[in-house]
Amino acid sequence: MKIIIAGAGEVGRHLAKLLSKENQDIILIDQDQKRLDAIDSNYNLMTWGGSAYSFETLKEVNINDTDLFIAVTPYETNNITSCCIAKKLGATRTVARIDNYEFLNQKNVQVLKDLGVDDMIYPENLAAKEIAQSLNHNWARYWGELHDGSLLLIGVKLYGNATILNKRIMELPVTTHDFHIAAIKRDNMTIIPNGNDMVLPDDIVYFITTQPYIQTVRALCGKVKREIKKVLIMGGSSIARRFAFSYHSRFHIKIIDNDMDNCEILATSLPDCEVVFGDARDVEVLRDNTVEQYDAFLALTDSSETNILACMTAKEFGVHKTVADVENLQFVGLAESMNIGTTINKKLLASSRIYKILLDTDASNSRFLSLADADVAEILVHPNAKITKKPVRELKLPADMTLAALIRGDKVRLVDGNTRIAAGDYVVVFSLQGMLEQIEKLFR
Amino acid sequence: MRASRVRTFRYQKPRYINLLMLLRIEGWLLMIEALFMCIPCVVSLFYESESSIPFLIAVGITGGAGALTTFIKPRSKEMGRREAIMLTGLTWVVLSLFGMLPFILYGTHLSVTDAFFETMSGFTTTGATVLHSLAAVPRSILLWRCLIQWFGGLGILLFTLAVVPMLNSSGGLMLFNAEVTGITHDKLRPRVSNTAKGLWGIYGALTAVLVLLLSFSDMDLFNALCYGMSTMSTGGFSTSDSGITEFNSLYVKIVMVIFMFLGGVNLSLLYNAVLGKTMKLFRNTVFKVYVALIIAGYLLISLDVLIQGLAKDASDLTIDPLFQSVSMLSSTGILVPEFKSWGPLSVMVILIMMFMGACAGSTSGGAKIDRFIILFKFLKNEFYKIIHPNAVTTVTMNGKGTAPANINKTLAFLFLYVIVILLGGTLISLSGLPLGDSVFAALQAISNTGLGTEATGISGDYAMVAGYVKWLLAFIMLIGRLEIFTVLLVFTTGFWKR
Repeated sequence: MKIIIAGAGEVGRHLAKLLSKENQDIILIDQDQKRLDAIDSNYNLMTWGGSAYSFETLKEVNINDTDLFIAVTPYETNNITSCCIAKKLGATRTVARIDNYEFLNQKNVQVLKDLGVDDMIYPENLAAKEIAQSLNHNWARYWGELHDGSLLLIGVKLYGNATILNKRIMELPVTTHDFHIAAIKRDNMTIIPNGNDMVLPDDIVYFITTQPYIQTVRALCGKVKREIKKVLIMGGSSIARRFAFSYHSRFHIKIIDNDMDNCEILATSLPDCEVVFGDARDVEVLRDNTVEQYDAFLALTDSSETNILACMTAKEFGVHKTVADVENLQFVGLAESMNIGTTINKKLLASSRIYKILLDTDASNSRFLSLADADVAEILVHPNAKITKKPVRELKLPADMTLAALIRGDKVRLVDGNTRIAAGDYVVVFSLQGMLEQIEKLFR
Repeated sequence: MRASRVRTFRYQKPRYINLLMLLRIEGWLLMIEALFMCIPCVVSLFYESESSIPFLIAVGITGGAGALTTFIKPRSKEMGRREAIMLTGLTWVVLSLFGMLPFILYGTHLSVTDAFFETMSGFTTTGATVLHSLAAVPRSILLWRCLIQWFGGLGILLFTLAVVPMLNSSGGLMLFNAEVTGITHDKLRPRVSNTAKGLWGIYGALTAVLVLLLSFSDMDLFNALCYGMSTMSTGGFSTSDSGITEFNSLYVKIVMVIFMFLGGVNLSLLYNAVLGKTMKLFRNTVFKVYVALIIAGYLLISLDVLIQGLAKDASDLTIDPLFQSVSMLSSTGILVPEFKSWGPLSVMVILIMMFMGACAGSTSGGAKIDRFIILFKFLKNEFYKIIHPNAVTTVTMNGKGTAPANINKTLAFLFLYVIVILLGGTLISLSGLPLGDSVFAALQAISNTGLGTEATGISGDYAMVAGYVKWLLAFIMLIGRLEIFTVLLVFTTGFWKR
């Protein structure tokens, strides 16, 4: 599939690298040749110096046979303009990065569609949603909803009070029809477990389950449900602003920012949030703002390091839930192992959104979620595929994968040893990274 | 059964070069070479009286060694920049080592030194030869010589990139950058395997057309095929001692001039031209300079012919100087017979043209016109800046500014290029050859021109020079073909430091 990405910013570069490893034809456009050079000589993709809203440039990269055009420059209007031009010149599908909430309004989406913008990604909004979700389900580290919420992927950090600890998975006292342990993160490793593996304290365990059994999983993990009311935000960044705009009615929000001008803007635009001028890196400032009385602490400044450290400080004050915006990908794993509740990464959010769009455009691409170094894929079973021949128990599947759930018609169910997979099913598969191709063979 | 684990975040100790992976890829390459070797082997089976068994052994050794090494299972398939550079240099040496087997075992029965020289000269499209009395050489060997030229012309690894899907990754892209000539490298398509396929497609198509056109002359199909591959790759191996004199018709010369010319043009430009973007070719600065240089060379040589009073008929002033001009600039290195009688002006013109070479991204050798354009524009700016010290200048190519980093690279390259010629010439002269001839030999090797021995002044041919000189020349050819840095980098301590 031919994909053109306009804008070699952080999101654009990340997407380009990611998709080029997926055997897609990628062309990355940017006006700044310097940004392109490093990528051009190291990745299996093509770069093109030029403006994404210039007819000439778009014609030179043969926009007319492009399957997907993604505009992710920092400027919303440029993105929309270039998408309009690209669409009119023959791109099959266009995606624009935006930073205006209005555009996502159902009524306005059609207007933009008529202009030629098929999809929109708004990374700040995705981040705000992600934060809200993690606050709602604050006992979980990760909360993912598949198939409109009928299938749930929940990552939980286990402490000594969980009842499923130190037992082999096959010997658990509950029937595993209710949930499926899909992956375990231990120290720096990701494990795709089988029946003989044990769950240990301090593991992050990823469960696949369905709506009715959420409480079962929570109880097994020894977690209590805790209502979050008061939220303290450090840094009035775009994500913080988006979050406050969307959820100011649900939470009591206080924002601490160290830029006076920014504070004033925040205060005028968010009248029912408290805005404090100060440096939240300073413990005194945190103490003055009674950080210990807050249910959640969100570190959303532009600096990943600051966010990670601030969350650790907040944890020491006894804040129950902390969320850090970690934009450096190499810090994400580190932050997770350092007991910082949830990490947010705009690039990862934007790219998984694009994956979803890709999935709609190209049926042969099946991956839709990446968890650090594990992949979650939803794969269609073809007639006469190897995997339909026997019940799962007898299949002798590779060690680094597990079949988590299957979707037959509208019904979602978990897979166990006796399940017999049939052609036409969609199967949700967990695997370590880089195995997907091997796995897909089983389904063809 | 244990579930396997993967590390996510931990500082990884820098490792040595992933040699096992390199060996595995070498294995693939050797199998491809063995396939190519089958072609002349079949020729020898059917058309030659000598027993073909030695030839089959050569194919067997190459293919067998390749098949064995592909069984190596490297622990990681990772390919970094070091691996890519190492692999590129290594491939050319390893393939030459196996490619020389037919010369040793069959027909010509050359010594190892001679055979390696001949093979490297072929792969690098230099076209210098140790073989004399080609009439006695079996046709299968002649075909093999032309085949390795054709194979090496566009790039051995580039061919592999097109056919081995495993290399369709960022590792493969680094190989592409290490092997393709030029300061920057144009990609035709987003994925490197498609780019490689496109380049080989246009190269193959042009060769096919050339062979067809040549076969319309009084050449037989065998000679048409050999000359076709030799011309398109701008190599210059011939099939008889008399060279093209044997087919001294105007038609053959015109056809060869056209295709030598095309061989010197950036193939990605030709690719785009074929796809309909013809104007891009004619607007290209390098292409325009290339044409201008050929015309200038032609005029100067014709002038020399006039001065020397050698103009007897029309061809002496038209096709012969033009043929020579194109042959030199494109680094093919075929000499027209009249060359011997031309004067020092022609020799000088030819020397300069050899040094320059044609467009980057083509099959030609030399330092490439692109670099000279940058150098001259840079010099012009420097002169301008002496009068206007505060002027901010930029070197433009095709109407776009060039990054200062590219100018630095160009200057470093040209500096190294001259150093290699001078150092090489000095080392060759130690064997007792006159200094002029020694430097000339080094120049024709690094520029992959491979002038016939009548021009070098060495009496006889390269068979006569000392053994170490042949190894040295072969090495210089490789340096020239891979544009210096790729080869010399392996010999720096920084490359091996962890």
